[in-house]
Amino acid sequence: MADLLVEQPQEITISKTFPTKPKLKPKSKALSKTSESKYWSSFKSHQISNLISSIPSIDFSPISPHHFAAANSASLTLFSSNTLSPISTFSSFSDVVTSCSFRCDGSLIAASDLSGLIRVFDVKTRTPLRRLRSHARPVRFVKYPSLDKLHLVSGGDDSVVKYWDVAGESVVLDLYGHRDYVRCGDCSPIDGDMFVTGSYDHTVKMWDVRVDNKESVIEVNHGNPVEDVIFLPSGGMVATAGGNSVKIWDLIAGGKMVYSMESHNKTVTSICVGKLGKESGEEALQYRIFSVALDGYMKVFDYAKMKVTHSMRFPAPLMSIGSSLDCMTRVIGSSNGIIFAGRRKAKEDVGESKVGNFWALGSVEEPQRRALRPTYFRYFHRSQGEKPNEGDHLIMRQKKVKLAEHDKLLKKFRHKEALVSVLGGKNTENVVAVMEELVARRKLLKCVVNLDEEELGLLLGFLHKHSTMPRHSALLTGLTRKVLEMRAEDIRASDALKGHIRNLKRSVQEEIRIQHSLQEIQGVISPLLRIAGRR
Amino acid sequence: MIRGGRSYVLSPPAFSNDAKRLLVCTSNSVTIFSTATGLPVASLDGHAALVTAVIVVPASTPASKIICYCWTASLDGIIRYWDFSVPELIKIINVNLPIISMVIPTLLSQTAETNEKSPKTFAYLSVENTKEPEKESSKALRGQIKKFNLTNSRMAGGMTLTETKQPEIITVSSSGKYFGIRFKRKLQIWKVPTAETERAMVKKITLHHTKNMNVLAFHPTQRIVAAGDVTGRILIWRGFGDRTFADGDGLVNGKLMNNEEERPGVRGDDDADSCTTWHWHSAEVNVLFFSSDGAYLYSGGKEGVLVVWQLDTGRKKFLPRIGSPLLWLTDSPDPSLSSISCADNQIHLLKMPSMEILKSISGIKLPCSFPEMCNGLQSGIAFDCNAGLVALRTENYCIQLYSLFDDRGVSEVVICERNHQPGDEVTVVVTLAVLSLDGSMMSTAEVKLPEEGLGGLVCLKFWALGSQNKEFSLSTIIYEPHRDAGISAIAFHPTRPMAVSSSNGGDFKVWVCNNGIQQMDQPLSNSGWTCHAVGSYKKKPMTAATFSSDGSVLAVAAETVITLWDADKNILVAVIGETLMPVVNLSFVGTSEYLVSASRGSKPQLSIWSMSKLCVSWSYMLHVEVLGYTVTTASTKPTSVVFNDAAMLKCNAYFLELTLQFYSLHKSLKLQCPNLSNLISASAISYSIASAADMSSFAALALLPESSKCNEISLKGRDGVILLFNASDPVPIFTWSVNKAKGGALAFIQANQSSIDENELDGKPPQSLLAYINGDHEYLLFDPQGKEAKEHSAIRQEGLGDLEEAGKFGYASIYGELPQFDPKRKQASWVPSAPLERAWETVFSGSSHNLPPLTKLCSVFLESLLEKRTANVD
Repeated sequence: MADLLVEQPQEITISKTFPTKPKLKPKSKALSKTSESKYWSSFKSHQISNLISSIPSIDFSPISPHHFAAANSASLTLFSSNTLSPISTFSSFSDVVTSCSFRCDGSLIAASDLSGLIRVFDVKTRTPLRRLRSHARPVRFVKYPSLDKLHLVSGGDDSVVKYWDVAGESVVLDLYGHRDYVRCGDCSPIDGDMFVTGSYDHTVKMWDVRVDNKESVIEVNHGNPVEDVIFLPSGGMVATAGGNSVKIWDLIAGGKMVYSMESHNKTVTSICVGKLGKESGEEALQYRIFSVALDGYMKVFDYAKMKVTHSMRFPAPLMSIGSSLDCMTRVIGSSNGIIFAGRRKAKEDVGESKVGNFWALGSVEEPQRRALRPTYFRYFHRSQGEKPNEGDHLIMRQKKVKLAEHDKLLKKFRHKEALVSVLGGKNTENVVAVMEELVARRKLLKCVVNLDEEELGLLLGFLHKHSTMPRHSALLTGLTRKVLEMRAEDIRASDALKGHIRNLKRSVQEEIRIQHSLQEIQGVISPLLRIAGRR
Repeated sequence: MIRGGRSYVLSPPAFSNDAKRLLVCTSNSVTIFSTATGLPVASLDGHAALVTAVIVVPASTPASKIICYCWTASLDGIIRYWDFSVPELIKIINVNLPIISMVIPTLLSQTAETNEKSPKTFAYLSVENTKEPEKESSKALRGQIKKFNLTNSRMAGGMTLTETKQPEIITVSSSGKYFGIRFKRKLQIWKVPTAETERAMVKKITLHHTKNMNVLAFHPTQRIVAAGDVTGRILIWRGFGDRTFADGDGLVNGKLMNNEEERPGVRGDDDADSCTTWHWHSAEVNVLFFSSDGAYLYSGGKEGVLVVWQLDTGRKKFLPRIGSPLLWLTDSPDPSLSSISCADNQIHLLKMPSMEILKSISGIKLPCSFPEMCNGLQSGIAFDCNAGLVALRTENYCIQLYSLFDDRGVSEVVICERNHQPGDEVTVVVTLAVLSLDGSMMSTAEVKLPEEGLGGLVCLKFWALGSQNKEFSLSTIIYEPHRDAGISAIAFHPTRPMAVSSSNGGDFKVWVCNNGIQQMDQPLSNSGWTCHAVGSYKKKPMTAATFSSDGSVLAVAAETVITLWDADKNILVAVIGETLMPVVNLSFVGTSEYLVSASRGSKPQLSIWSMSKLCVSWSYMLHVEVLGYTVTTASTKPTSVVFNDAAMLKCNAYFLELTLQFYSLHKSLKLQCPNLSNLISASAISYSIASAADMSSFAALALLPESSKCNEISLKGRDGVILLFNASDPVPIFTWSVNKAKGGALAFIQANQSSIDENELDGKPPQSLLAYINGDHEYLLFDPQGKEAKEHSAIRQEGLGDLEEAGKFGYASIYGELPQFDPKRKQASWVPSAPLERAWETVFSGSSHNLPPLTKLCSVFLESLLEKRTANVD
């Protein structure tokens, strides 16, 4: 280690070099992003916008590669979640599709429409397999149980919940109990016989097909028309969405409300459960509830800490949301036919495994390294790439002050060159900083006098752009006046400079107009404030 | 009593023979620094005025390098001879004239000779002729160069070599053959006679130039002299004095024949072969020095760049960016070590051929000149009274934190990140620096002066003390806190992170640090100061601000009235007073109910306001400049201030009362110092005020008016008075007169245990010490209530004392002439120090194979003993 880290002699610096620095900007009061928030915004957003009308339902295939289906108008479109492009479309519907659901093996998909028909398709061949007709009114939700391949649950505007035998196209159970439209439902992730349904009568009912009397097992009142209901992964809790709130209920405790999340401003239309796909960190592989609402916000809710951890805005009312099981894709459907898909950058694990195989196959032995001798070139590079150990005491090399071009010129007292060089750059803050430094050296006006025509044009261009900026106007308006006073002759002589002056005039007039209107506003407000203060 | 903060650079320093010690003239004493550590190891005290020259007696043989004798000369007209390894005074020679400069050429030329017969030692002195009365006419020649016989301690008869208008500094060649002075546009060079006797004639030549010259230097071996002038030119005369000095030399016979025409560059009839000019410096040259082998010439000046000229070719090398004008360059017997003294009170030790800076000895920053518009504000000196630190503004936009107890710099904070060129026009000024009571926060205000109305900027900065490294780091910058108006005062809340800044623009702002409401998961970097409240009173300029000791009341002076506020709720609680002139300083007197205000101008006033009655308790018609104050304990119980509306009725009797008090003050002052009484009536006295919390007393520093200064004999050289008051009593408890009070400051400093061991011997450690910093940033710490302070005032009454002598009053009066040990030397217990080198202790130490032969050692040993004996006999 000793030869690697050459100890630097402690150099006593008498006077240091400071580069010119622009004025600091105030830090925003907003809190910095949490790591989780960073994670959720790391989804690369992608818009799918060639659909026609509202997207009422999105469902992900439970098997890899996790295609997703989006109901749209009178068709159902299947998208690849890798490329986010449509794969196939089921378009033989007679009315608007309201809901869709993949079977647990991902080979069948069920879809319902406003005519009251439920259809089951083969996903790969797109062949319609079954037509389930029993609902008298539009069907609003259809769902495959997560552990059962033979049955279906559906509900509709006739306020009946039906339990179907898919193969026989027959209704096994008609469950009456809701007094208004049934809008949503979900099947238990741990039990194939149990499911919940939510309805516009503000209630969420839990059903068990094994119960004889066809009555709901548990009933909870959400307080608003229920738009969506889901089971949380444990199966003991459900989350309901309705009105502006998302409520979490503990079913094992007999339907007790655990928490009510009310951070949306408009009706929450859809919720789903997603997983944090990070392998490391505090919140790795935890579940979150996504909720979307008509106010265009998507919120991520941590139901362990009962805290909204991320919030994201979209430019349209949102209708539906889905999240893939592999945590890579999250899709949101909006009311105007745009799908906001987000996909996380995939790790190149596939490629890695291939590379590993290649190395495993080729059993090429590494050549024996020869001992280093001073005659080898490598000898002089030995141990240069070595990393410090844990316990090593590091002596850092003193950081060199990086000097920009204008700083170097200022150091040589070449003031005009420094000003021209920084004017040629793009950074406004630096230009102002150099000007302030020149003011402190009492050299700015001398510089202005010495500028030739081209450089003067550069300066006037800068002043035109920035002299009305409130942040710099204190210095720059004064400077503009001085420049015009001192270089009036030269400006009159040159057409290019006259053009700059015209631009300058325009921006000043614009600023004056703004100031006038601001004063008007102030005139309106100040009596109000006076009255408020008198109270 | 602790003194310190002295300038290290008023006179050139000197190296000891082994180059391990550097003897630096520090006002009335010579401080000896170790060149290895850069820390002080000892000091030679005894001179009563500024020490102007220190000359180390060079070693005649290599073995005698450890012998440490030196001569010092001072403005008090006394030359002293020291053994500085002990340190011990050996001999005192009274010249009776203020000595500006002293050289002893015989010491230098002696080195080759054997010292079996000790020849007489002659010194050449540059003295100020005080016998000549100071006239208005500029004809009076006040400077004299005299020859002085040090062995017999008398003036060599009739030997006034020359007379000049001002006393000049003598430069001597390192061979000891020539010495010279420069005055105006002339150089005068004398040749030291080879056989020095009382009457030996000293030959003289004069060299002329067209510009005023600043400095000259002699070549160590050849007859070359270099001089630097005010325009930055360096002139080199070769072969000076060929004609005049030729006789004894035998070296330059041939050149005598040269005819007059072949003397390029030499003016008129000057006695030199040639004169060449080098010009690099843009401003005056202050330092010229030939390297010991004579191959190089070092020059330096106002730019703070050390230039090395190769003498034969004129090639240059530079040591740039020293940051301050250079004043002296001294080389040491060790050819690889030399020192440069800079105007910012720093001495840098240089490793010579490479010009690397090995060590820096840095003293307190000297006061620097600021443009007129910023001078009126405050002295810019802030105190951290618990840690005993003082914060001083420096020229290169820094704040130096200086420990008063340790007498050395603690740290430097760069306030404004800007390159500083010494000698440039000052355009960026740090106007204010204020430390919070616990010393953990600092606030500074800086002003960028505009160029023809362009680009001025006022900045308020808050700094926080780091927890580990004890360095201040920037917390918040506020650009233009009061729009474009300047900041007149900043004050910190005594207990909470809150501060107030008042501006001349008519408002004050209360700032709070949001550290207090920090949450756990929030990163610390988000902390910062934000504006909590803005207040103004009738759009009047706010001129001063202070918090009460418990922080419940904020007092802000709006020109002539004092407004009292609740800082939290920003409510105006009361308005008191009507002074004649704008109040410039405010301070609560400890935890008592009194508020002190000070105003300046044509009708100055020092007023004590009672918070319970909301009216003037007593007042002097005195000009008050600065109100410095300290509150010693932060844990004082909150004393609620009762604002009694009925009491706001100003009693008419107050004026009557005032006149009565005036009378009593007159009387008391007459008792204490008869001269002060007429000063009070001449109402041009300014104050710096400090208050101590526990005893409801405060001290004030008053400047004496010009008119009275010149008349008073007993106050000669003293232009200020420190008055210690009890707030309830207008009669001052103590008064002390001080010198160089302008720009000074006062504060009560909490004494920590380690610093006052001498006071602890009395059994009763004092609560707080009064710190006084004068205009030259020399400071004094003393216990205002203690015994020595009383002795002080006793001395004052007799009109003969000096502040620094008061502490050893009894001792000095009995053993006047004996070597005096400053009480400050007891400090050495906590200043890290190297052991002293005593000749007889170190001569025989070390392993035997390293030691020189015993015969040599013995002679050295005996030599030291013998010389001391002779000195004592003298």
